[in-house]
Amino acid sequence: MADLLPEHPEFLWRNPDPKKSYDAVIVGGGGHGLATAYFLAKNHGMTNIAILEKGWLAGGNMARNTTIIRSNYLWDESAAIYEHALKLWEILPEELEYDFLFSQRGVMNLAHTLGDVRESMRRVGANKLNGVDAEWLDPQQVKELCPILNINDNIRYPVMGATYQPRAGIAKHDHVAWAFARKCDELGVDIIQNCEVTGFVKDGNRVTGVKTNRGTINTEKVGLCAAGHSSVLAEMAGFRLPIQSHPLQALVSELHEPVHPTVVMSNHVHVYVSQAHKGELVMGAGVDSYNGYGQRGSFHVIEHQMAAAVELFPIFARAHVLRTWGGIVDTTLDASPIVGTTPVENMFVNCGWGTGGFKGTPAAGLTFAHTIATGTPHELNKPFALERFETGALIDEHGAAAVAH
Amino acid sequence: MLLISCPNCGSRDETEFHYGGQAHVAYPENPNELNDREWAEFLFYRDNTKGAFAERWLHSTGCRQWFNMLRDTVTYDIQAVYPMGAARPDKSAPAPESGTASTAPDSTTTGTAAPSIAATSTATSTAPASATAPEGATK
Amino acid sequence: MAKTAALTGVNGLRDIRRSPASHLAEALDAGSVRGQVVLNEGPFQTMAGVRVDPRSEGGSRIAAVTGGLPVRCGEVTGTDSISVLWLGPSEFLVVAPEAAHDSLGGTLIGSLVEALGDAPGQVVDLSANRTTFELSGPQARAVLEKGCALDLHPRSFTPGTALNTEVGNIPVVLEKTGEESFRLFPRASFADFLGRWLLDAMREYGSPEVP
Repeated sequence: MADLLPEHPEFLWRNPDPKKSYDAVIVGGGGHGLATAYFLAKNHGMTNIAILEKGWLAGGNMARNTTIIRSNYLWDESAAIYEHALKLWEILPEELEYDFLFSQRGVMNLAHTLGDVRESMRRVGANKLNGVDAEWLDPQQVKELCPILNINDNIRYPVMGATYQPRAGIAKHDHVAWAFARKCDELGVDIIQNCEVTGFVKDGNRVTGVKTNRGTINTEKVGLCAAGHSSVLAEMAGFRLPIQSHPLQALVSELHEPVHPTVVMSNHVHVYVSQAHKGELVMGAGVDSYNGYGQRGSFHVIEHQMAAAVELFPIFARAHVLRTWGGIVDTTLDASPIVGTTPVENMFVNCGWGTGGFKGTPAAGLTFAHTIATGTPHELNKPFALERFETGALIDEHGAAAVAH
Repeated sequence: MLLISCPNCGSRDETEFHYGGQAHVAYPENPNELNDREWAEFLFYRDNTKGAFAERWLHSTGCRQWFNMLRDTVTYDIQAVYPMGAARPDKSAPAPESGTASTAPDSTTTGTAAPSIAATSTATSTAPASATAPEGATK
Repeated sequence: MAKTAALTGVNGLRDIRRSPASHLAEALDAGSVRGQVVLNEGPFQTMAGVRVDPRSEGGSRIAAVTGGLPVRCGEVTGTDSISVLWLGPSEFLVVAPEAAHDSLGGTLIGSLVEALGDAPGQVVDLSANRTTFELSGPQARAVLEKGCALDLHPRSFTPGTALNTEVGNIPVVLEKTGEESFRLFPRASFADFLGRWLLDAMREYGSPEVP
């Protein structure tokens, strides 16, 4: 039987009306917005702040991801920020006093071609140099760790090995949101739901307020954490972002006895699978090719994903799809996020996390809070500035991002 | 799954097509004169419109021709299909002249063989339920 | 694939040529359900890819060799022995019996190259690019419909029509040659997959009907 889920705390958070003004306003009440507000309050003493959420708390990508957490990225800049995030994940359940079921069950990234093998081994080497626990597994070792994987060489894309990060894993995504939300509330942050931003008030090039469907809110600083809708907000504020929003789908099966002990990702055949604490198989698909804000994707993408899943895990052929859904991912050309200042004074942006924002949540919050509070980026997010698209100092993580786009 | 009306082949499944991103992005006339900011705009910045979006599509499994499409990125409704090189058929603007896909600089056509097609043909109004080209698609 | 003694080709290479689905020949035979649906890999064909503006002089010269060029999606033109399939507004696939190939004493490719001359366009020998599956019988359409989104009903898909589309997620040219017969032209590397896919789709017609 799967482990019992922990009980929720009796009290979670208030549901306040917006005040006339705040020291800072965070737009977007998902994981990144909540984490940013938490670190603003905790690390920088900014407690007169609000999170504005147009829908309900953590109802966007935070509710729609496959909860995978890992830090095995290729480049120094990415390894630094994602590894910092992983270290925060390790201490956050205690710090937030909320067991959000962070399970370090390891993540495998399969290699199916010689090119994959070379790229993966290179990444393992790079990871080790950056202090990231990564190792290379041959097919036998893959099978030992995940016995339900088909490692026969008679399939179209046989498993030729895998990178493995033992400290990686999954967490319960809504519990993460609730953990941050509860602490934010405790520290005095106003979490305002059903509050949609409709525009910004500017004094010259400086932002001074946020227009919402619940009135105008004055603020000294604005932090955008709206993932797929970042471009829409940036347009309201009068600048452009180099991101494209795409539908990304995932699905779950009905509940099963524990069969899948780790997390398996395959960039090549395009599926990633874990088994959630309750027992459902959680699988992610690829992005739809076209831009879309519809929070739904195409059936053929799921069909492709299922074909890949059943070839890798023949046992899944008898599982049933229980539920499918889509989120809106904000992709950049180098598959790396944008965290930093914007052309508008006192307005900051955290976006472009694309298909892998969940794992970055704590580090996004920490570095973005630093950027908002001090007006300058943290060492960790300095390389992820918007300016890199002008300087050409891109951080190409398409190989490690695991979802092609 | 989108049902896309190819100007040459008629209504086909989305899986036969390849997405080409935002339409009407011209290559800079004098690339050497661009500053870093302008070059970044051309290389990395594309509109990410929520609503009606003009984009390029290639019927890669079919006639291998590019065309433009006006599609709503929220409802995914296809509002217009029109040739490469033709102006975006805005609701207020008059429908552009029929164009030939082959004269567009980024068309894959080798000659001037592409048929002229109605610039504002929409997926629903001109796509018959048949597998063959819509009436008037070729002349 | 039975060897044709007359066709020895250059340096005897013809003798060792194997068709892309030849390893499936027995399976195709065993999987065919006589009176329902029959599948086999067709003989080698001579195929040429032609890109030319059909309204140009070069296009007219090509048309004179092939017996016309189709002008719209789906149309097939040609002579008794040559079929010209429409692939795009200026792209065509010329299909003829194997013996038409220049290496076997024929003249098709050379004549097309000569007809194009210096005109803009190209003629490429694609004889080894695609193989041919022949699917026929009263259930042939039903088999295809399992993996093809086009409307294959006879009211819209008529004999003498060929469409570039997908069958079983594989890009193919699908030609309707008769009321109940089709030719599928997949690229060689997809022949194995498509052959097995078609066999799988045919299986139900070999099983006893469930009352």
